[in-house]
Amino acid sequence: MIYDLIILGGGPAGVAAGIYAARKKIKTLLITDTFGGQSVIASEIKNFVGFKSISGLEMAKKMEEHLRAQEDIEIKDGKKILGIEKQNGNFLVKTNNEEFFESKTLFIALGSRYRRLKVLGEEKFEGKGVFYCSTCDAPLMKNKIVAVVGAGNSGFNAAIDLLPYASKIYLLGRSDLLKGDPVVLEKIKASEKIEIITMANIKEIIGDKFVNAIKYEDKKTGEIKEIKLNGVFVEIGYEPNTYLVKNLVQTDEKEKIIVNCKTQKTSCEGIWAAGDITDVLYAQINIAIGDAIKATLNIYDYLKLK
Amino acid sequence: MVKIYTTLTCPYCEMAKEYFKEKNVSYETYDVSGDEKAQKEMIAKSGQMGVPVIDINNKIIIGFNRQEIDKALKL
Repeated sequence: MIYDLIILGGGPAGVAAGIYAARKKIKTLLITDTFGGQSVIASEIKNFVGFKSISGLEMAKKMEEHLRAQEDIEIKDGKKILGIEKQNGNFLVKTNNEEFFESKTLFIALGSRYRRLKVLGEEKFEGKGVFYCSTCDAPLMKNKIVAVVGAGNSGFNAAIDLLPYASKIYLLGRSDLLKGDPVVLEKIKASEKIEIITMANIKEIIGDKFVNAIKYEDKKTGEIKEIKLNGVFVEIGYEPNTYLVKNLVQTDEKEKIIVNCKTQKTSCEGIWAAGDITDVLYAQINIAIGDAIKATLNIYDYLKLK
Repeated sequence: MVKIYTTLTCPYCEMAKEYFKEKNVSYETYDVSGDEKAQKEMIAKSGQMGVPVIDINNKIIIGFNRQEIDKALKL
């Protein structure tokens, strides 16, 4: 069986493409692990058009429901994508359990994952004091001393998530700028629990069985400083999930897929992409959906001419 | 016997619980933020503190890992 289109990913972009492809009666398979993408961890989304406020999880459920209401689409969820290859002009997608799926075109919407600090001790202590999901793990920090690394919106929100639990929160930023939203910054500055440290370059995460300290360079003085603590929440943004497609499509210096913003075409004929995995200027749910629809309509036109 | 160690705010815990419901798998929930004994048990079983931790007949799975869950439940 050769599909006309395989959609990789079940976040907003993947689901939007699935709905449009089904309605165009393109012979489509959508492969994903879960639905909703990165946004499932958002406790509140307030700018998803049509919803005054919705949790990321609720949004994911509504999207999955909308997708499953389509008759003309095949869905394989709970799958890990292990490889993508070009073969005789078609594309071959390999998933866990040694399954292979073949298609004439591909739409890649694999999104992004938490950016790692890439310092000593980070990997060793993942889950043992190093965390990436404050929504999930903040409640475990009751009466504990923690650091949030990152002074953008994710860092600000992590500090807010930790406020009801932690006894002390250090918010560490790499530059002297606090890049998050002013509304949240006001809340942070109002809290006596939170101490902001700017110009901090994280050097090492230290511990025994669990984390017990963090080492950073104070870039103002060049001095190496240490803070005794129990938890480190890394909130320094996201990196694209391009490791499976780097050899197929052109990527930019941040390893994001370069797309034509009119059509969402990549450098490889037969592959389109949208959402956070691309070099789109703004990573937004609403934009990912729009870009995915653009791609799907362009794929439809392409398949008609083939 | 399926046990899931969660916090009230953890979306992946919710996703895991919904998956069990969908597959008609009964489970017990332990909120580790309010229950110190459960927290210690979870850390002892998994060697770490992140949630969710899922215990399927003594097979310990960290995170909502569908592939591992399916394997452990033989789905």
